[in-house]
Amino acid sequence: MAFFFEVLIGGLMAGVMYSLVALGFVLIFKASGVFNFAQGAMVLFAGLFFVGFTELGVPTWLSLLLTVGVMVLLAVAVERLVLRHLVNQEGIILFMATIGVSFFLDGFGQTIWGSNVKQLDIGIPTDPIFLMDGEILIQSFDLWAALVAGTLLASLVVFQKTRTGRALRAVADDHQAAQSVGIPLNVIWIIVWAIAGLVALVAGVMWGSKLGMQPAIVSLALKALPVLILGGFTSIPGAIIGGLIIGAGEKLAEVYIGPLVGGGIENWFAYVLALAFLLIRPQGLFGEKLIERV
Amino acid sequence: MSAPEKNIGDILLKVENISLSFGGVKALTDISFEIREREILAIIGPNGAGKSSMLNCINGFYHPQQGTITYRGEKRKQMRPHEAAKQGIARTFQNIALFKGMSTLDNIMTGRLLKMKSGLFTSAIYKGPAEREQIEHREFCERIIDFLEIEAIRKVPVGRLPYGLQKRVELARALAAEPTLLLLDEPMAGMNLEEKQDMCRFILDVNDEFGTTICLIEHDMGVVMDISDRVVVLDYGRKIGDGIPDEVKSSQAVIDAYLGVQH
Amino acid sequence: MSETSGQPDGRDPLGRDTIPKFFAYNAQHRRDRPAMREKALGIWQAWSWGEVDARVRDLAGGLAALGLKRGDKVTIIGDNRPELYWAMAASQSLGAIPVPVYQDSVADEIQYVIEHAEARFAVVENQEQVDKLLSILDRLPMLEIIAYSDPRGLRHYGQPFLRNLADVTKQGAAYNAAHPGFIDAEIARGSGNDLAIICYTSGTTGRPKGVMLSHDNVVRSANLAVAFDKLNENDQVLAYLPMAWVGDNFLSYVESAVTGFCMNCPESADTVLQDLREVGPTYFFAPPRIWENLLTTVMIRMEDASAIKRRMFHFFIGLARRAGRNILEGKPVALTDRLLYALGEILVYGPLKNVLGLSRLRLAYTAGEAIGPDIFDFFRALGINLKQLYGQTECTVYLCMHTDTDVIPDTVGPPAPGVELRIDEKTGEVLFRSPGVFVGYYKNDAATAETKTADGWVHTGDAGVFTDNGHLRIIDRAKDVGRLTDGALFAPKYVENKLKFFPHIKEAVAFGDGRDHVAAFINIDLAAVGSWAERNGLSYTSYADLAGRPEVYALIRGCIEQVNRDLSSDSSMTASQIKRFLVLHKELDADDGELTRTRKVRRSTIAERYGALIEALYSGQPSIAVEAKITFEDGRTGTFKANLKVDEATTYSTMRKAG
Repeated sequence: MAFFFEVLIGGLMAGVMYSLVALGFVLIFKASGVFNFAQGAMVLFAGLFFVGFTELGVPTWLSLLLTVGVMVLLAVAVERLVLRHLVNQEGIILFMATIGVSFFLDGFGQTIWGSNVKQLDIGIPTDPIFLMDGEILIQSFDLWAALVAGTLLASLVVFQKTRTGRALRAVADDHQAAQSVGIPLNVIWIIVWAIAGLVALVAGVMWGSKLGMQPAIVSLALKALPVLILGGFTSIPGAIIGGLIIGAGEKLAEVYIGPLVGGGIENWFAYVLALAFLLIRPQGLFGEKLIERV
Repeated sequence: MSAPEKNIGDILLKVENISLSFGGVKALTDISFEIREREILAIIGPNGAGKSSMLNCINGFYHPQQGTITYRGEKRKQMRPHEAAKQGIARTFQNIALFKGMSTLDNIMTGRLLKMKSGLFTSAIYKGPAEREQIEHREFCERIIDFLEIEAIRKVPVGRLPYGLQKRVELARALAAEPTLLLLDEPMAGMNLEEKQDMCRFILDVNDEFGTTICLIEHDMGVVMDISDRVVVLDYGRKIGDGIPDEVKSSQAVIDAYLGVQH
Repeated sequence: MSETSGQPDGRDPLGRDTIPKFFAYNAQHRRDRPAMREKALGIWQAWSWGEVDARVRDLAGGLAALGLKRGDKVTIIGDNRPELYWAMAASQSLGAIPVPVYQDSVADEIQYVIEHAEARFAVVENQEQVDKLLSILDRLPMLEIIAYSDPRGLRHYGQPFLRNLADVTKQGAAYNAAHPGFIDAEIARGSGNDLAIICYTSGTTGRPKGVMLSHDNVVRSANLAVAFDKLNENDQVLAYLPMAWVGDNFLSYVESAVTGFCMNCPESADTVLQDLREVGPTYFFAPPRIWENLLTTVMIRMEDASAIKRRMFHFFIGLARRAGRNILEGKPVALTDRLLYALGEILVYGPLKNVLGLSRLRLAYTAGEAIGPDIFDFFRALGINLKQLYGQTECTVYLCMHTDTDVIPDTVGPPAPGVELRIDEKTGEVLFRSPGVFVGYYKNDAATAETKTADGWVHTGDAGVFTDNGHLRIIDRAKDVGRLTDGALFAPKYVENKLKFFPHIKEAVAFGDGRDHVAAFINIDLAAVGSWAERNGLSYTSYADLAGRPEVYALIRGCIEQVNRDLSSDSSMTASQIKRFLVLHKELDADDGELTRTRKVRRSTIAERYGALIEALYSGQPSIAVEAKITFEDGRTGTFKANLKVDEATTYSTMRKAG
């Protein structure tokens, strides 16, 4: 039993990481209807800049601040150079555009900072913690990750209640209407991409600390896709819970079902689960069911 | 119950030689007209005459290739919709653009966004000045709710409302911005006779009570003639008539356009 | 409250014999207690008795300044608004007589009332009403002043006789300052014999009649009712029924003045159910239609609820129907049921009552029409003290009311305190004498003499019987009541109503006057029977086809036999059991003149058109051929030829007393 819990907790912690990436997707999708394929690349991009700055000897706090600046600039650039010109285009075209952005970020980040694996240590303790008289072992790093993710989520919830947050909700609901009551669409997009960038930065730092900063993070970030299918593309709680389910599910499946089928479940379990979900509940756990008057 | 002499003022908005095309298709050709303070101006014309395009130019959704729009004495070539909103131009849409997930009251409150002064993040704390401001805005919205007689649906998500009421909520949201110029895109489309009469009454009341200048689009001539001070007629993107309702009604070009006489 | 109880004839122990005297009393003794509430800009605003009194005095001063004199009539038209109630009180303070008119009346109807009542003043709610008055102004030379409370849209109306009520009030304040003691003197001059109000009743035939009620009528009736139901200043009511109806005037305005309780005006006609929830009245009157709506709302919600919730709901409602009424009436109930009911209160009944706005309710009435026993029982089962009331304008609202502990769904209760009832042996008509007996019909002595006998008895026009436990049961309009050949009373509507409470029966027409037994036509309800047929795998092509099915006949026979069993339990009604019936092949329709627009059966038309069918009911033949043009569901038309079956139903003997 203790072993089960250990696996479960480990899985949940990994799930938090997925959730962080999925959160970025949801924010942008809700506000602009754009499926941002580049979210994974943004995680790597932000992480590379942060590591890069620290390796140059910049203090951690300043590196963090500088990277925030970089992500905000990125948001402005994306709005100016891409979104503004594609306004009112089909969703698929915007999606293609974000694929382009994704490859650019991937390549540009590595051009500047190199493509070798970088170690990242920002001083988060990594000692194991034993629970229940040493029966269960968890990584203190994982606890930290959960704490950071929780804080991030809480501040997002508060943000939603602000005037800007309300404007975001309005834009998410109806572009035309939002503009007509005086909400500047471009500014909103910049804000959304900047927030998604911040979320990416947090995710990048956490993942980098755990796995080292490496290009493979981009493909790992694609695990967010099944998370979204599970949680619903428009739901912030959905992104969180979806991430936890996928994280815990794949670890448990690996340990308990893996031996029966020869292992390797962890890599595709999430996608199969998502597929099953598409069949049963296509709008996801928390997604909005589209109600249309006919 | 004839309204007494209305005090129609100076030119509020002047459209000069506007031409708009999408790709090769000309939507508007060399249109000029003006809207005066406190008047109700109707833009009418058969389907596809370019009425909505005209409204979208005024409101900044479209940017005409040629011509200028002068609003409150300020000439401009391009304006974005949110800037138009800031300058006191509010509008409704032909296909209703409401925040479907929000209640009637919340929808109307978004109309007050531009009037809110509290900073970007302060309203989250919801105390002190921010709260007081919130209450003031709520009170204003309640006045509009009372005015448009939609008390019963205050808390209902607008997605669940019937069409006619959604139109009314959209009008309410536009009014919440205390506009100088109110643009109504087919406010009576798809309504039954009783709903149309109600809407006419509200339009007249808004104009009368708040002195709001109103520019509305309709393709149904009947209703419009009764409530407008002046009518501009478009057909195939050109202006073919401009004057008081009686003049326009008797104009041969207008009659031809409505009867579908070939050009 | 000692101040309102005591006197068996309802006279006020403190000598207050007019409504304005109660207002003055409340302003002194309940100065800061809420008197009226209304929503303004989405928020409930309250006026205390002190404030209300001040407004009423100012308004009275203003009306006096405009020339309103003792004995003048003031017509009042609009939704339930505090300002209009103030206008009523202000008029009464000056000795003028309010004449409220239904707010949805068309101009012609308003014209008749104003003309007949010779109203010099009109106080109305808004532009809508002003426009109506202006459209008939040239025919109303006696009307001098029109005052309105909501100025919206009226800014440009320049007519000098149009006044904003707010301005009138302001001028009144100045007038009162210049004439100190004027209002007090006017109030003191009033006496119980003065007229308090003239209510025009929409008679089913001919022009409406103006029922004159004196202050004595309303004050004494209110004192008796208040003592009967122990109403007090802590009660809350929702004043939402038309101000022109005597019931609203009495239950909201008069009783509020007499007890000092607070009346709440709904925000608009559309928001009544929401306002009900927010106000949570303790005392509530509603016609059966509203109770039915409330029940339907609940049922629809439950259809949409999750399976667990639905099952829980049905379990506890079942329990409530079994035990709830007995608990409410303090009768013995098994301990387990009592405990389960307490659990149900937490899980189902409480939340349900809360959603409906009935959780604070301690007293509720229904009247006007017959209420379905199912609906009535549902609310009582929830622990709501819903009772029947019977009365009319001519008796100042009530004659009979159920007591809290003795409620029978299909009676209207025993005679209320101070009311004497008797039933005319020949016609079965109910006659009454009470402190509430109206003064007369305004300017219609002939009608007054016809209704009110020399010794003070008043004809109600309703036929009734007393049940074995002393309750009155209204069975029909007196003119429709007939007799079977053996002399037994036959009230068609009573039998028909019992049939119509079944969802499968839409209309019923009962025959029996001058016959040896009762027989009936039945109209099935297409929606209800159609879905029943679907569930039972019964296919049909048209209404006529469905109506003729033996399965449907069996279904209807079941309903009729249940009615017969019910009738047999009552000695005065047992002869009215239905022996033979047939299910009509077409729906009775107002367009064909078979029903009135308000869906009342036109007996003469039906007797004429369906004479052959009626004969078949009594000739003993098993079926009768009919031919009719019908429209199929797909729009084709055809001629329908069929033999309508005449079926027999079991009747029951009186000996078998119902359990």
